[in-house]
Amino acid sequence: MFKGGWFKLYALVYLTFLYAPIILLPLFAFNDATVIAFPLSGFTTHWFTEMLADPTLKQAVKNSLIIAVSSAVIATTLGIFASRASTRYEFPAKGGIMGLIMLPLVLPEIIVAVSLLVVLLGLGVNLSILTVILGHVLICTPFTIAILSSAFQSLDKSLEEAAYDLGETPASTFRLIILPLVMPGIISSLLISFTISLDEFIIAFFLAGTEPTLPVYIFSQFRFPSAVPVIMALGTILVCLSILLLTIAEIFRRRGIAKSGGKDTGGFL
Amino acid sequence: MTIEKPEMIEFRDVHKYYGDYHALRGITASIRAGEFFSLLGPSGCGKTTLLRTIAGFEGISSGAVLIDGKNMAGVPANKRPTNMVFQSYAIFPHLTVEENVGFGLRRDPRSKDEKTRAVAEALEMVGLKGYGKRAAHALSGGQRQRVALARALILKPKVLLLDEPLSALDKKIREQMQLELIRLQREVGITFVLVTHDQEEALVMSDRIAVMFEGEIAQLADPETLYRRPASRKVADFIGTMNFLPAKVVAEDANHTDVEVAGFGRMHLSKDQVMAGNGGEGASVGFRPETLTILFDGQQPTDRESMGTITEVVYYGDMTYYDVKLDGTEEPMRISMRNVFGRPVLDIGTRTRVAWSPGALVLFR
Ligand SMILES: Nc1ncnc2c1ncn2[C@@H]1O[C@H](COP(=O)(O)OP(=O)(O)OP(=O)(O)O)[C@@H](O)[C@H]1O
Ligand SMILES: [Mg+2]
Repeated sequence: MFKGGWFKLYALVYLTFLYAPIILLPLFAFNDATVIAFPLSGFTTHWFTEMLADPTLKQAVKNSLIIAVSSAVIATTLGIFASRASTRYEFPAKGGIMGLIMLPLVLPEIIVAVSLLVVLLGLGVNLSILTVILGHVLICTPFTIAILSSAFQSLDKSLEEAAYDLGETPASTFRLIILPLVMPGIISSLLISFTISLDEFIIAFFLAGTEPTLPVYIFSQFRFPSAVPVIMALGTILVCLSILLLTIAEIFRRRGIAKSGGKDTGGFL
Repeated sequence: MTIEKPEMIEFRDVHKYYGDYHALRGITASIRAGEFFSLLGPSGCGKTTLLRTIAGFEGISSGAVLIDGKNMAGVPANKRPTNMVFQSYAIFPHLTVEENVGFGLRRDPRSKDEKTRAVAEALEMVGLKGYGKRAAHALSGGQRQRVALARALILKPKVLLLDEPLSALDKKIREQMQLELIRLQREVGITFVLVTHDQEEALVMSDRIAVMFEGEIAQLADPETLYRRPASRKVADFIGTMNFLPAKVVAEDANHTDVEVAGFGRMHLSKDQVMAGNGGEGASVGFRPETLTILFDGQQPTDRESMGTITEVVYYGDMTYYDVKLDGTEEPMRISMRNVFGRPVLDIGTRTRVAWSPGALVLFR
């Protein structure tokens, strides 16, 4: 009883600490004042309309979407190849190679960003959206491999053999059996890498050149107090979008495991 | 009375290595067209590996595998006239029962209507009429098994390969499926090659059985020969129960061997009762439990008779197993008796007469 009470208290404090600031976002996004402070002075949607009218913001959103979609597609494609290879085939130094691919998952992002910047500048590459995509693919790929490996792993090898046995070629087996069964994993991988890329700041800040992404734009706007409520409005939208995408991703991942008859070994959520 | 059928599958000195591990050690055997053939052996003896060399999932290190007279070297699995029922059934979980069964017909030039009819026929054959629209992942084990069978048989392969297809089912359904598989095989006349580690299953279902140990075929014979005349002590031990007694060869000519067995005396055995393969331990004779009979009051032996003492009684309902230590022997012998109506179950310690016949035993040397 007593013990349970303490755990409840702990959970409550933890959740408050985690989510209270996020709840403040929409609060101030709809508040009719430029200062971010209590008491609230009134309801307005003014900040949202102002946000929609800002051309630099529009450009930043556009950049971010291009980068996020491209990074998600490229990272997921690479992830498919890598997970298929690591779950189905044996090759020399497999552990080492997979370890190196997964390394960016734990490497400080600032190190990745700085080293990429040095290399790119050394090579004389102009910083642009493309260089940001490169950086984002690098950090998203380990996530896609983690998701897709679990999808490929739960695939029974005899399903493939059964398809060969019934006259299909390796290519048509991939299309007819493997792809449909790992599709939920692919979708979930696309969504998660899209989300990661969309709110990634450090790499985008270092490698974007004159093409700021949304997080970089938001950071730059914080210097102007009058812009803060607009950022709150933007943040509100981003939080909703992120939650939506991650939920869809998890639904797809679970559905994939249920479909191929495997056991859930725990995913990201 | 059967006419010798042509060969459907032939193994010619097949060897298979997994790295350093020698999984198949010179398999030479042939499987006849239209027969129900079983590969039987303990876990890890290479049954699955041998089956997969027929299907084309496993390459061989040396030797040759021929199907219907054609060497299969370089022929991939999707081009071989074989189909397989997998141990896990490998039902495609994202397709319906119908789509699963019709999967192999994708490249078939027949019209859509004809294919639909073929699928319906195949489903009816395995007793799943009307299940076509069900989702495959929502089937029971027995039903999956039937879908896998229908899916493989619809292509009318020359050979159907089955890797322990019944091992995932519980006893009742397994016994029912055994009989159904036999019926199905007779109906379609296709050569069936079954892998199993269950000796009873192999005896019940097969026309012929290859018993495998450690990558080699120890004996290839029909079930009765395998049971009555096992080629070695190891085979005898693996199939059913056998009592072994040390024996001494005392005389020998071209057609007969005379042996001396403690507790049984001297016996005159014909040539077909003499097997090699005692594993280098001199000679021993083997009795199946049902070839020894406990004599009740007034019964007369048909051949020979010994006295012994009952040391153990195991009651099975239809049968009783007795361990009887015959006078002059070291170890008790297991004897199985049918519990005929009116016959008592004897107690431990009872002195009893045991009837036996030298014609029922096998000599390993
Ligand atoms: N892909 C592989 N790589 C290495 N060794 C293997 C491989 N497949 C099988 N083996 C080995 O070859 C031997 C024979 O395996 P196989 O699967 O044919 O046995 P089995 O007789 O079917 O046994 P079980 O009844 O357990 O299925 C085993 O010792 C196994 O460990
Ligand atoms: Mg096996």
